[in-house]
Amino acid sequence: MMMLTFNRQTLPFRTEFAVAGTRCVLATNSLEVLQSAAGWRQGTDLCGSASFEMEVFVDSAMDNRAHQAAFFRGHRHLVFALLPPRSFVTYDLLRRRVHGILSVAAARDCFFWNNLLLPITVGVLGTTVGVVPMHCACLDHDGNGLLVAGVSGAGKSTLSAAMAGYGFSFVSDDWTYISKEGSTLVAHGLSSRVKLLPDAVRFFPDLRHLAPRTTLNGELAYEIDPSRTEGFAVKHRSHPRRIFFLERTSQSGCYFVPCQSDYVRSFFEKNAERLPDELVQAKAFRTSIIQSLSSCAAWILRTGESPQKTAEAIGDFVTGANNARV
Amino acid sequence: MPGFESLHYANPLDLLRRFIPTPLKALFRVGSARVRVRTNDITLLPVFPLEADLEALGVKSWEWRLIRDADSRGLLEPPLFIASGALTIVGMGPACLIGVDREKRELLAFIGRAIGTRTHQDFLIPLFSELISEMFPTSTTLSFAAWNEASINE
Repeated sequence: MMMLTFNRQTLPFRTEFAVAGTRCVLATNSLEVLQSAAGWRQGTDLCGSASFEMEVFVDSAMDNRAHQAAFFRGHRHLVFALLPPRSFVTYDLLRRRVHGILSVAAARDCFFWNNLLLPITVGVLGTTVGVVPMHCACLDHDGNGLLVAGVSGAGKSTLSAAMAGYGFSFVSDDWTYISKEGSTLVAHGLSSRVKLLPDAVRFFPDLRHLAPRTTLNGELAYEIDPSRTEGFAVKHRSHPRRIFFLERTSQSGCYFVPCQSDYVRSFFEKNAERLPDELVQAKAFRTSIIQSLSSCAAWILRTGESPQKTAEAIGDFVTGANNARV
Repeated sequence: MPGFESLHYANPLDLLRRFIPTPLKALFRVGSARVRVRTNDITLLPVFPLEADLEALGVKSWEWRLIRDADSRGLLEPPLFIASGALTIVGMGPACLIGVDREKRELLAFIGRAIGTRTHQDFLIPLFSELISEMFPTSTTLSFAAWNEASINE
């Protein structure tokens, strides 16, 4: 049995870093975690950001526990997360605090921090600290952010990878974290790996050299690190100006159908996670972000073309050399 | 082992199961505290004296939300216990996750389908009672102090 009281005695090391536009105040008992955090602190501006506290206790006894698949539950302001490898994290959304007991293996693992703990933390806490997680991809073109939304399975990730290959800067593929600086929207990415379903190998033959792995939601997928992919430029933030709602069709060609702000608002509200009644401010903040997003120029993009051809059509569309049928 | 198919809950916009309905309600007395229990499974209601003094409700009452998690399989694992400020968290794997907010006087527990009535009544309910005790955690003898996986998961 392990009983831990989290306080300044048990968690003597402290640091701060920015993540997706928020400020994380980290306390830990592990020098390794502190050293890892040095990487996240680089080039980050912490001024004016809303903050949350993350208390992380690293315990080697955790490494002897049974393997555990990812598991999440929550109610009202409390959320529990069991994360591989062998870690237990809880979130208090009212007090904006994260408590975690990590295995040594997790504490040392950059993949764990960059692809699980930090994205999940911003995903769970974000709305309470001024960042709204939105289920969409974000690419950047000359400082202008372009969100790609759509229902699950529409092909957002595959299109994002194709767009990054075409010359757009990659910000995020699955979850984009939207905040406001003054009245300006900012889209943040966490450089998480891009997940491509096995059939994406048709469009990206190089994937054959990789082995697909089981992702958190149980799907088998190839995972590529955008920062290490040749030809990909990665940005951590952008300003959303355009939104494309991706729809697959059997008809050849790419069709850009303008849509009204009501459509944008309705889509994002309909697909947003339900929040408990206690989080009144968080709900209101999310509504205001969706409202702001609804003023972006938006199109339904119906495509029957390959991801590469669709990326090319978007490139032509946003640069004004519009060869696509509108 | 009872089947919990009727308690199965799926909502793609509620991946955390935050909104599992807990329509069953009862009032109990636990020591000097009054406890309002809400649950989705009648077998999770404690075997405590029922609280009849409804007028007295309000000042010192706790709310327990005991949620039978039909999608969580597996037995109790050795507990992990986190205390921080007003919060006490106990994790025993997916089979049982407990959160106690002493400031809000709320206790939340997700209880997996494999947790039988005996384990619940003899082990978890006493644990919940200790976790909300005024004396906790300084002078209580936690019911899982002598953790024995085999006997508890019987």
